[in-house]
Amino acid sequence: MLTEFGKIFVFLLVAIIFVAVSIFIAKLIRPVRPTKEKLKTYECGENPVGTPWIKFNIRFYVVALIFLIFDVEVVLLFPWALSYKEYGFYGFLVGIIFLVILAVGMAYEWRKGDLEWARPKPNIPYLKKIIKNQTGEINQLQSEESKIE
Amino acid sequence: MDLTNLYYSLRLILPEVIVSVALLIIVIADLILHRDKKSIPYIALTGMLAALAFMITDLAQQGFAFIPSKSQHMFGMVAVDAFGTFFKILIIISSVFIVFFSNSSLEIQKVSDRIGEYYTLIYGMILGMMFMISASDLILIYLSIELLSLSSYVLAGFTKLRDRNSEASLKYIIYGAVSSGIMLFGISILYGISGTTNLMALNKFFQSPELNLLTLSFSLILIFAGIGYKISAAPFHFWTPDVYEGAPIAITAYLSVASKAAGFALLIRFIRTSFVAVVDAQGNWILFDFFDWRSLLIIISILTMTLGNFSALWQNNLKRMLAYSSIAHAGYILLGLAVLSVHGLIAIMVYFLIYLLMNLGAFFIVMLIADKSGSENIDDYSGLGYTSPLLGVALSIFLISLTGIPPTAGFIAKLYLFIALVDANMIAVAVIALLNTVVSLYYYVRVLKHMYLTKPSASTSSVRAVGINYAVVLILTIPVILFGLYFTPILEFVKNCISILSI
Amino acid sequence: MIEVGLTHFLIVSSALFSFGIYGIITRKNAVMVLMGIELILNAANINFVAFSRYLNLGLSGQVAALFVIILAAAEAAIALAIVLNIYKTFDHVNVDEIEKLKE
Repeated sequence: MLTEFGKIFVFLLVAIIFVAVSIFIAKLIRPVRPTKEKLKTYECGENPVGTPWIKFNIRFYVVALIFLIFDVEVVLLFPWALSYKEYGFYGFLVGIIFLVILAVGMAYEWRKGDLEWARPKPNIPYLKKIIKNQTGEINQLQSEESKIE
Repeated sequence: MDLTNLYYSLRLILPEVIVSVALLIIVIADLILHRDKKSIPYIALTGMLAALAFMITDLAQQGFAFIPSKSQHMFGMVAVDAFGTFFKILIIISSVFIVFFSNSSLEIQKVSDRIGEYYTLIYGMILGMMFMISASDLILIYLSIELLSLSSYVLAGFTKLRDRNSEASLKYIIYGAVSSGIMLFGISILYGISGTTNLMALNKFFQSPELNLLTLSFSLILIFAGIGYKISAAPFHFWTPDVYEGAPIAITAYLSVASKAAGFALLIRFIRTSFVAVVDAQGNWILFDFFDWRSLLIIISILTMTLGNFSALWQNNLKRMLAYSSIAHAGYILLGLAVLSVHGLIAIMVYFLIYLLMNLGAFFIVMLIADKSGSENIDDYSGLGYTSPLLGVALSIFLISLTGIPPTAGFIAKLYLFIALVDANMIAVAVIALLNTVVSLYYYVRVLKHMYLTKPSASTSSVRAVGINYAVVLILTIPVILFGLYFTPILEFVKNCISILSI
Repeated sequence: MIEVGLTHFLIVSSALFSFGIYGIITRKNAVMVLMGIELILNAANINFVAFSRYLNLGLSGQVAALFVIILAAAEAAIALAIVLNIYKTFDHVNVDEIEKLKE
């Protein structure tokens, strides 16, 4: 008979074996065609070696935020899915209302362009102005900024 | 939960349902009106007025909503009663004013492309506050506090025009998240001791003779720390001046009135439903005696008002000064709670009704002047009484009222508070509060001195507001004078609204 | 061999709570402070689940823990957005050094 800690030990053992076996099988059956880029540690297209305090693309962050929120909201659906038979049609309706609100949030992200990798409106016009007429336009830009300050 | 129960519950929380629907409508409208967002404030206003209309018609309604189907008792998650409806009405009224404030605020106009998000967050705050006021379950209390806080953290730094906006936002979220986390830990311990999170069921639990007082006090202290942060009571007030100074003025005004009102309503409901053992014939609340409640409340309130008033003395920034003054006012209101009776409750409610008008008014005029001159520094007020007479007079009225000098409404508010204190034989406390009022006179009058006795300097601007702003100022000024002379209607209204659902 | 009981869970949760408070007080980096806050929330979660499991309080504690998980995520999202904004304005995220508002 296993004690409580014995169960935890078995749990750990199974976890380690599962990971080891799956990595080993993957190694056996996958094709091996290495290049220099492929051999690098995978880090979302960033250079894995160097200081961690580099400025990387801010879009990673926005995508991570959106993922975090929607991923966690799904937790609320589990108790609903388990018990909605008991509560019948009205329980179903309550869940649908929740999903509609989530969908509005999703529509918001979509419409504001936060789901695209490149935002729809980059601030290019400023650059054009400066190139056209250097002295005058730059002054105008600075005065606009100081107004905001 | 069957159909009739669900409909009954939804009928009880109809104002909240309206607010939620309005929130969704604003989000959708913001998405549809991608270019021209001028109509969004009107949508927001319509939603608030609809909720207000339903609350005024259903003032007498009361009952528990969302009663768990398998529970032995009949206590729900949400308690709807006249007391809660009164505070909800206060919140909606101040929200309506905030819409007007934001519409004329220069800071908010600069971010008018994000106005849809702005009003969505305001509605998030309203929803959080409304549930906070009527929540009768600790979990719902925590959720609603978080809903309110999360929206207000963002709003504090919404404009991003200056460094101080971001700083206010950061300080707010760090203090807020820590205190709500501590409160949640307290709730979890209380849940472990008592086996329930319902406020009424907690009351039944406290009646049992065998209590582990040490653990119980520990968990209660943690919970009260969370609530104390929301009302910015003395040991937890450090965030208030920084956040109030850094946030856009419209949001500062909103935080100082609505958010504080919701926090107090929550505190009062928590104490009234969970800790009151008996109410005697005179309306005094006899509390369970595992704490010396009255001394605790008195110490905290005196500490709060003294710290607030004395720190306000050397502030040159008017926004920061009003922040400290709002801490001091929280102290006075806590004193009303320390009376622990129906009379104290009436005094608190009268105080809040008047505090709403005078504080919103003072912030509105500070906002109009700051929009013109670009700063809230007291030196910019030199001679303002002559360059822009109407605003000067109105600001004087609000500041006099905040001090509590007759014939303004602020005097009536303080009068009822002191009467309640004296009736409860708390004369020494009343004297300390009176001395505090004298201290507060100094910094309020200092502004008046700058406005009327100093020569206008070069930096003094003459503020010519547009018609709608004058209308808002008048709507706020006239009641402050009127209620100072003829206050029977508010007293009658408050006396109709003192019933709190409890065992 | 000892059985795992309520006390063990409470020890873990109070340790987490204390680490959280310690982290909030000692760390300067805003992100580390936020991690301390997450520790506090998770300590409360452990309490909720342990109490409802060992004291036979039904599912209410576990549902409360679910809500807290979601709120913690929402709070983390908003807090990180604000910290990012701070980084843009001040070029660092040291809580101690952001004090332009004090006069």
